[in-house]
Amino acid sequence: MSGLLDPFGLLRDAAWGAERFGRSLIGQERIRLAVTGLTRAGKTVFLTSLLANLLAAGRGRRTLPALEELAGKRLRAVRPAPAGVEGLPRFDVAAHLAALAADPPAWPARTEDLSTLELVLELDRQSMLGGLLGTRTVTLELLDYPGEWLLDLPMLGDDYARWSAATLERLRRGRRAEAAAEFLAFVDALPPGAPAEDSLARRGFALYRDTLRACRDRLGFRFLQPGRLLNPGPRGETPLLWFFPLPQPARGGLATLLAERHHAYVEAQRRDFFEPYFRRFERQAVLVDVLGALHAGRDAFEDTAEALAAIAAALRYGGGWLDWLTGTGVDRVAFVATKADHVPARQRDALAALLGHLVAAPQGRATGAGVTTSVHALASIRCTEDDVATLDGRPVAAVRGLLLENGRSAKVYPGEIPLRPPDPGFWDHGFFEMPEFQPPKLDPAGGSGVPHLGLDTLLAALIGDVL
Amino acid sequence: MSDRPPPSSPPASPPVGPRVILEEETRSPPPRLDFEWEQAVVPVAAPRPSVRWSGIGRLFGGLALLGGGLAALDAANFVADQFARGPLQGWATLGVVASGLALLGGGAWRELRGLASIRAVDRARSAFLRGDLATAKAEALRWAGSVQEAAPLQPAIRNAASIEELRALLQPALATLEARAALLGRNAAVQSFAVTAISPSPGLDALIFAWRGVRLVRQVAALHGLRPGLAGTLSLLRRTLLDAATVAATDVAVDAAARALLSNRLLEQFAGEAAAGAVAARRMLRLAKVAAEACRVVPPG
Repeated sequence: MSGLLDPFGLLRDAAWGAERFGRSLIGQERIRLAVTGLTRAGKTVFLTSLLANLLAAGRGRRTLPALEELAGKRLRAVRPAPAGVEGLPRFDVAAHLAALAADPPAWPARTEDLSTLELVLELDRQSMLGGLLGTRTVTLELLDYPGEWLLDLPMLGDDYARWSAATLERLRRGRRAEAAAEFLAFVDALPPGAPAEDSLARRGFALYRDTLRACRDRLGFRFLQPGRLLNPGPRGETPLLWFFPLPQPARGGLATLLAERHHAYVEAQRRDFFEPYFRRFERQAVLVDVLGALHAGRDAFEDTAEALAAIAAALRYGGGWLDWLTGTGVDRVAFVATKADHVPARQRDALAALLGHLVAAPQGRATGAGVTTSVHALASIRCTEDDVATLDGRPVAAVRGLLLENGRSAKVYPGEIPLRPPDPGFWDHGFFEMPEFQPPKLDPAGGSGVPHLGLDTLLAALIGDVL
Repeated sequence: MSDRPPPSSPPASPPVGPRVILEEETRSPPPRLDFEWEQAVVPVAAPRPSVRWSGIGRLFGGLALLGGGLAALDAANFVADQFARGPLQGWATLGVVASGLALLGGGAWRELRGLASIRAVDRARSAFLRGDLATAKAEALRWAGSVQEAAPLQPAIRNAASIEELRALLQPALATLEARAALLGRNAAVQSFAVTAISPSPGLDALIFAWRGVRLVRQVAALHGLRPGLAGTLSLLRRTLLDAATVAATDVAVDAAARALLSNRLLEQFAGEAAAGAVAARRMLRLAKVAAEACRVVPPG
């Protein structure tokens, strides 16, 4: 119903739907692929691999067999769309590839800002008569952004009081409480009706920021709001960010000031990030580091599921009558367990099955709106090979790769991956931090693509129908 | 060998917790994993045929087969009947049928060659986009052989070491051709302006414009060494479809502006015609440009 309250948004949706329809008629389709993923899920590496492999496939290399099978021999060329007048930086595939191929190699750093790239796929038409009309193009729009910002999406529908209550309730739960002890003591000790004193606001903000950082870096939690507090972007910390949750009901000058900042922050995120990039998209890839969540412990695992459900609840998947009327809505959504090369081949199905349970709520919501969904296990860049290790006198399937930190060869036994959310006894073995592996030997120019696991199947599921 | 974290499960049960097992350190650092990408990619099933017969395609195919096949059978029967009447009648009829068929075949062959020459442009452009130097060179050589302006470039094309170099070598010749295409476009524009101003009906305007447009496209194609037949011309014309929308939008704006500026009744009468003529002329200029772009062996940009 929010559409009715925003007639201009509705008009823009209608114009967008009409443009989409017109483009499909003349064979000049545009597909916006929203790559959503929590922080450290591997979005930047995924985009790098996707672009490098598609560009290589356009040069006639067989880097994406499943996609090639769908497209027949009709894919004639793939090229980045020429730059127009965009105000955003371009996603620098060449630089990322060069860093991965360098000696010593480097994985892309934490993404600090938005960047975009459009890829034009030039295809022959399918029918004999269509051939007379010449080639058609599919333009793929891609966006890279800091994963932390995605968690602001569920904030859009909440006011300050509701957000405060929910956030504090989460902070007081389980292992977060120990990281948040100092902040919780601070807010609990604040007198009711505290004045709008800048020093109080700054102190509370600093404590809250440190809490969120500890939760993210030390405990592996992902459902941390606001996202810009953890990753402020190129402009750094602005007074807009200086707010934190207060126990409710709160009154007084400080509560008013924080509520004002919260409101301004949410509006700024809506205007600058979500409206332009996440209001309308046709395809979505939801990247989840299932293995990382599993190894970070029960609380982090459940937190990841909660964060994914909250994000999905805030996204528009279409299916409503307004969406039908304006021609907007999502066509396909793929849920992807990344870093699948960290488990041996026979456990990858289990990884996908576990992800299926983890995203049951978002998947149900998307399917209910008539969206085609699928679940995949993927390694954007394959860094390991399967091997056998002997543990406690028993042979177990493991993976072998070179460690990034010292270049030594190591076998990793990732543990048994459960097919469904594990029983409490599973978590007894303690926490485990998966080591970082060196990427394999790569062509710095990306000429022959990037070794991957399952990227072709994923792309076939996401965009195969438009090829 | 070192384990992290220390094993916690009893030896009898399967190991539960994840571990990292460092391998023996060697004197020289181990090489990075090399999956020999491309070679390692498993071959997939043979791709589906890239061309499919659509419903309309089958319909036309069936009609052509019925028309052509029945006509051929009819002709053969007729020739046989004529031979029954007498050898002279028989040979004369066979001669007529054979000549007719030869002419038909010759026409079809030329059409196919014309279409193939347009496809060669697509092949060359796609080779330039892919960065496939060998194919781009072969196509550029074939093209230079058919265009007078580019003929002296052939030795230099053979020696080109990179796609960028090849592109730079072809650029001046292409610029000359584009200038000539623009000249052809201006001529066509002047003619269509004049014809529109004096022609008695809008229907005739459209007919003349269409004929002049097709002729212009063929002239521009000939400049680029192409000899498009009917199918080739259609294939070239469809590339202007996209631009037609833009042209139509500016038409409306120019027409409205012209009518708004001239409010005098007499002037209005004349201006309406002049504006229509101006629109037709601008369409010709645009058509020449678009046709030249469609015939370029090197992709723009």
